[in-house]
Amino acid sequence: MLKKYLSIFAMVLLLIGVLAACAPDREESGGSTDDSGGGDSEEATGDQPESLSVWVNDNEDQKVVLETLFEKYTEETGIEIDVTPMNMLDQIEALNLDGPAGNGPDLFFQPHDRIGNIVLQGLASPIDLGEAEGTYSETAIDAVTYDGEIYGAPLVVETYGTFYNKDLVEEAPATMDELMAIAEEQTDAASDQYGFLMEAANFYFSYPFFGANGAYVFNNEGGSYDVEDIGLNNEGAVAGGELIQSWYQNGYIPVEINPDIMNGLFTDGKVGVAITGPWNIPAYEEALGESLGTAILPTVDGTNATSFVGVKSWMVSDFSENKEAATDLALFLTNEENSTAYFEGAGELPANQAALEGEAVTSNELIAPFAEQIQYGTPMPSTPEMQQVWDPINNALLFIAQGDDVQEVLDEAVQQIRDNIATAQQ
Amino acid sequence: MSTANPTAKKNHNPKLAVILSILLAGLGQLYNRRYVKGTLFIILEVSFILTLGQFINYGIWGIMTLGTLAGTDHSVFLLIYGLVSLVLIAFAVTLYIANVKDAKRDAIRLRDGEKVPTFKEALRNVWDTGFPYFFVTPGLVMLVFIVVLPLLFTIALAFTDYTQYNQPPRNLLSWIGFENFGRLFFGTGAGDSNIWQDTFISVFTWTVVWTVVATTLQIALGLFLALLVNDPRIKFKRLIRTILILPWAVPAFVTILVFAAMFNDRFGAINTEVLAMFDLAIPWLQDPFWTRIALIMIQTWLGFPFVFALFTGILQSISKDWYEAADVDGASRMQKFRNITLPHVLYATAPLLIMQYAGNFNNFNIIYLFNEGGPAVRGQNAGGTDILISWVFDLTFELNQYSMAAAITLILGLIVTGFAFFQFRRTRSFKEEGNI
Repeated sequence: MLKKYLSIFAMVLLLIGVLAACAPDREESGGSTDDSGGGDSEEATGDQPESLSVWVNDNEDQKVVLETLFEKYTEETGIEIDVTPMNMLDQIEALNLDGPAGNGPDLFFQPHDRIGNIVLQGLASPIDLGEAEGTYSETAIDAVTYDGEIYGAPLVVETYGTFYNKDLVEEAPATMDELMAIAEEQTDAASDQYGFLMEAANFYFSYPFFGANGAYVFNNEGGSYDVEDIGLNNEGAVAGGELIQSWYQNGYIPVEINPDIMNGLFTDGKVGVAITGPWNIPAYEEALGESLGTAILPTVDGTNATSFVGVKSWMVSDFSENKEAATDLALFLTNEENSTAYFEGAGELPANQAALEGEAVTSNELIAPFAEQIQYGTPMPSTPEMQQVWDPINNALLFIAQGDDVQEVLDEAVQQIRDNIATAQQ
Repeated sequence: MSTANPTAKKNHNPKLAVILSILLAGLGQLYNRRYVKGTLFIILEVSFILTLGQFINYGIWGIMTLGTLAGTDHSVFLLIYGLVSLVLIAFAVTLYIANVKDAKRDAIRLRDGEKVPTFKEALRNVWDTGFPYFFVTPGLVMLVFIVVLPLLFTIALAFTDYTQYNQPPRNLLSWIGFENFGRLFFGTGAGDSNIWQDTFISVFTWTVVWTVVATTLQIALGLFLALLVNDPRIKFKRLIRTILILPWAVPAFVTILVFAAMFNDRFGAINTEVLAMFDLAIPWLQDPFWTRIALIMIQTWLGFPFVFALFTGILQSISKDWYEAADVDGASRMQKFRNITLPHVLYATAPLLIMQYAGNFNNFNIIYLFNEGGPAVRGQNAGGTDILISWVFDLTFELNQYSMAAAITLILGLIVTGFAFFQFRRTRSFKEEGNI
């Protein structure tokens, strides 16, 4: 009997506790973060902070060169830089929790295709590049622009291009027809000899052949993407899909190709031309030595192939109390001199236009074509919806490789992208 | 009887003691004239309220509302604070109930004139009877915070609307009840496409088939080989045993990656070297059916050494007398196996075998490393060999449907728990626990 009373009493006690629970007193300052995602705290007006906290990618080469740049900055301004190495891809999750708790960085480093997601979470502030805006390559600025605002100071651009083995192919193919001729002539699948190889079932690499024909992922007008307008099953896309399908049907590229196999064959000297990224240069060069050549992508029906461009940029945390100083540091790191130094140390192409056209880049025969290809490229869409594109379109490419009807497969893929976007937004 | 006890205090009222101790922990004890104990309880309660009261208040508010100011309140933090508060309240309520019970017990003793132990005696009493509990408590508290709390967090997430488009700190989460589960099971609220329901059913059925077939095969193979090696006529036992254990010695992820390369349709050794002899080429990675077959074979390869080692041990412990007796009765080989060997082996190993099933049910490694759940299937959101756990992984990292992923995880957890729980209860090895 008594036990029953007790438990009832305990419940009542709990309920009282629950009902009494009330909101803590807080300043009603959060409202402004709703739309612009930043700028609610009073920024230090001209006051120089003693130190800035920066999250850098935990790559050894990158860390070393950044360390020297930070030292230079400290010498010039007296601001100490507090560096935390953290994998680029883990930074967002950490910032989501550390930022509001006050342990976040002032500046962090991100690939541009995650900007949409970052803005959705309200983690970054738009930054004012000021006069420096014109010093970056146009593609890089387009890439870091989201909903009309610039969210990062671009440091690195990257895209892919053509690699060729000079022993097998005298000159890089300038047009698709030349490339097809090489493929026709040299491919002998029975002896694992290929004229032309690429990961054609990976949308990242095969986008140029869609884009050159007039396909697009999301229509971009004035710096913002219209995710309702998907151009992956239009006429250009089908033409691109059929072009890719022909490679498989003619037996130029085996369906089972994957990066490991492709790299293995290329370094064994069994591939004439391969399309892949500059990150393969060290391995390829080691294997082929002088015989390795690079070039921009071949033109498709007279149009330059529109490779996807990725941009990595410094972003200012929305939780930073030193946004001005952080922006200043970001501009310092990405100016011509320092991004050239970064290129020399870390081997990543500078987003700074002058640096991209500078001696350091152009004198490097293997790298220079990639710098040239940048101007024909399109930035990967940075909207969060892009994440819903990869799987369906990659699957579609696989079906295309297996010989399914291109129009049908692309229609299906676009429908699935729409469904995925709708599902994600629920 | 009542008059026989001169120390009885008829007017001492247990009810009053209870009410007093409910009002404030320790008051009842003071009324019972247990001054030291009473003071301790009062100090405990007051300090609990003073130090944790505000936190709990904030936590409860947080878990109920998940924040009211977007951009200022961080729903995930609030959710965690709330859960911690609930745990703290649970601890406090337990102590409080102990306090009231104690007051009542002492009051009744006092009324009846029983000798109430002094504080020192009571302490010793508690020490003697509660000894095991003292040692369990720190571990238990740790367990609550590092196991139960994250579990509660996942469960809680399943009932929120945490997606890519609704993430803190910019946005606030809110409670949406069983909506996620409704979408999974009944396809409600999903607009024109039923991705969730369709995919869930196809993925779930494959998960079940995968679990049952792969695990049963590995157990059967393990048993078969153990029987063979255990046969007295076999020579070089040690060598054979070592060889059979080898697949276990190589880390699973290495084996899986090597197999993934070997099963490559055009370049892999299986098609180019082995099957080429028979003029065969099987699309191991392109056709869902063959990918499934390959996965089951690999899992059998990976899993049988453990079962084999387990069974070898058990087989050697079966007394020879049994078989001799059976021989005398003229039992056949099959009869001996069915009535002596099998019951013995299964009897001793059933719980471990059940864990094999549970482990395969959530065997993310092999599915993901072999072919990332591929190959793609037209018109379906998950790949041809995605099991529930690898599908959840995709959901979280591609569709960023955190709350939906939590809902599926919860279902997974319930299934595995259910099957472990009932089977454990039914196996004798656990029924006899504590009766040794």
